[in-house]
Amino acid sequence: MTSTNATAEETVDILVIGAGASGGAITAWLAEAGFNVKCLEQGYWQNPSKYATASPDYEFEMLTNWAIDPNRRRRNEDYPVNDSNSPVTPVMFNGVGGSTILWSAHTPRFHPSDFRVKSLDGVADDWPISYEELEEFYDLNDEVMGCSGINGDPANPPRSPRQMPPLPLGKDGEKLISGFEKLGWHWWPSDSYINSVRYGEGRDACNFCGHNHMGCYQRAKSSTDLTYWPRALRCGAKLETGARVRQITVDGSGRVTGADYIDSKGTEKHQNARAVIMAANGIGTPRLLLNSVSEMHPEGLANSSRLVGKNLMFHPFAMISGTFPEKMDTWQGPLSNIAMSQEFYETDKSRGFVRGYTYQFQRSLGPAWIAKGGFRDPVPWGEGHHEELEKRLGSVMALAVIGEDLPEEHNSVDLDPELTDSDGIPAPRLNYTLSKNSRDQLDHAIENARTVLEAAGASDIYVDPMMRQSGWHLMGTARMGNDSTNSVVDRWCQSHDVDNLFIVDGSVFVTGAAVNPTPTIQALALRTADYIVTNRQDLKG
Amino acid sequence: MTLNTSDTEVNEDLLAALLDRLIPAVGELPPAGQMGLVPEIVRLSGRHDLFHSEFANFMISFSASCPEFESLSGNAQDEAIRAFESGSPELFSTLLTISYIVYYKDERVHRRIGWSGRPPQPDGNEMELWDESILENVRNREPFWRQV
Repeated sequence: MTSTNATAEETVDILVIGAGASGGAITAWLAEAGFNVKCLEQGYWQNPSKYATASPDYEFEMLTNWAIDPNRRRRNEDYPVNDSNSPVTPVMFNGVGGSTILWSAHTPRFHPSDFRVKSLDGVADDWPISYEELEEFYDLNDEVMGCSGINGDPANPPRSPRQMPPLPLGKDGEKLISGFEKLGWHWWPSDSYINSVRYGEGRDACNFCGHNHMGCYQRAKSSTDLTYWPRALRCGAKLETGARVRQITVDGSGRVTGADYIDSKGTEKHQNARAVIMAANGIGTPRLLLNSVSEMHPEGLANSSRLVGKNLMFHPFAMISGTFPEKMDTWQGPLSNIAMSQEFYETDKSRGFVRGYTYQFQRSLGPAWIAKGGFRDPVPWGEGHHEELEKRLGSVMALAVIGEDLPEEHNSVDLDPELTDSDGIPAPRLNYTLSKNSRDQLDHAIENARTVLEAAGASDIYVDPMMRQSGWHLMGTARMGNDSTNSVVDRWCQSHDVDNLFIVDGSVFVTGAAVNPTPTIQALALRTADYIVTNRQDLKG
Repeated sequence: MTLNTSDTEVNEDLLAALLDRLIPAVGELPPAGQMGLVPEIVRLSGRHDLFHSEFANFMISFSASCPEFESLSGNAQDEAIRAFESGSPELFSTLLTISYIVYYKDERVHRRIGWSGRPPQPDGNEMELWDESILENVRNREPFWRQV
């Protein structure tokens, strides 16, 4: 579906590239403030009633047409990512709502210490902003997206009342929790952007189907196509889908003038704009900036620091699973939204590494998924298959480790010299190795996970020391900072080099913390919107 | 006997023989190759281009690596499968994936393992509310996030 009346002659105030988590948020806020905003999105609207969770072939669809890895999914709107130099493969979705279509919607916040890692621990860099400066925008985003949860977590600062009560813990969740209780370790019900009761426009409560990572049929899981985009369109924002941007264009002074793109019919077009906001994720944004070479920006747009694409951070995931003697219907309830533990979140240098990690509690799915291994090794084929399947089905639970990955310049996104998308635009290439600090974190977490799983009564512990298909969180590739020589954008997410270019996705992260990043990405986007409304009325036509 | 998908012929007898070894008989159910699952495997694998090509590659590669497979004894078939699995783990994984998906969506299997078999939506599941008293210990803990 295309909802646009823009022509090549029209100049919009703001052109947003990408209609996902941050693109939806900033478009809505700027449109509500009276800016003439247009968004170009290479994917399309999704119809929740068509999600594959209602198909008898849902398990096949989960691994193919609805795969989380674009290199597996291969829809026309996806672009290839060369991940041969990375132990972690990318996870993303291209469409209105972006990766919030397939995300788990597990929504913890950064800690105050996450913004001060240089001052506190002598590593990486401090952010140029603080938790306190972002807090009101976290709250605002929670209200729009709708957060189920409960206040009182001693591992985090106090926060505003959650919009909805927490999701059920489930028998399986309570089983895992019993291990943490025995050891006296922290745990807390997850904040989740999943409705525990009706909330928002036409959005029902979760019915615990267990497959929210495939798009939510109930509209209970928050995604920006259901939250921010209806607001944005009501306020006059324009959204063109099937629009793949080739490059951001500039004038003779180096300021951006809009974008060249290919529309859904394959026609080359140009959109004029007084300002451009990049919201294409930590891989897509540096790809586009590096593809936007001009006389004024020979190294790529906004790249005088030569840091565009550098400092790629993931959250390398380890997964530790165990089998319980009880049958607990582990396929019921959101896959990854039970509880989390931040017992080992803050730095304790006696552990041999800096920074820390979160445990995210995980359920498991149905028999075909279990047979193929799920989070662990496959059930053996042949002799013993049925016995092992019976043992695991409904009894496997896991702890996912989200460790803080520190920025390193050699971890990067650049342009592949040969690979292109279906329109001939150079594709991104990942170059990533796991640092010793990250490995030490994961190893520490693995040993503690064994301990707590056994305390909860699990046996047959299985360790995946680093999941390959785990590149959900794409961060750091156009970092924020006060110094234009060592950062790409300033504290308002405005390019140091180009005053009418902003970046509002995970690219701007200085460090990655040890939590799912989307609430922070969206809070930053809202904060940038607030800055533009307050300080950049010059961008209004 | 072969089944024709969009552009690939699948040796149905070979695939059924493989299924017999991967998922053996249990209870009243015969080995998977004798349950008539092969046409569904071929149909489903054709619903995604990349998966389809990987599945076709598996069939071609396995057939070439062990042309006499169907005439081997059970133990020898297992050895041939293990040798292929070791040499081409990704291709073999494709076979396992589609075999398990199709086997475990069969109603006869659902009855045996007590699985509802329905898609996750639209019915979903019921979950019980929980008692917040479970939070008592952790709620009483002093805040331990790092002040800056």
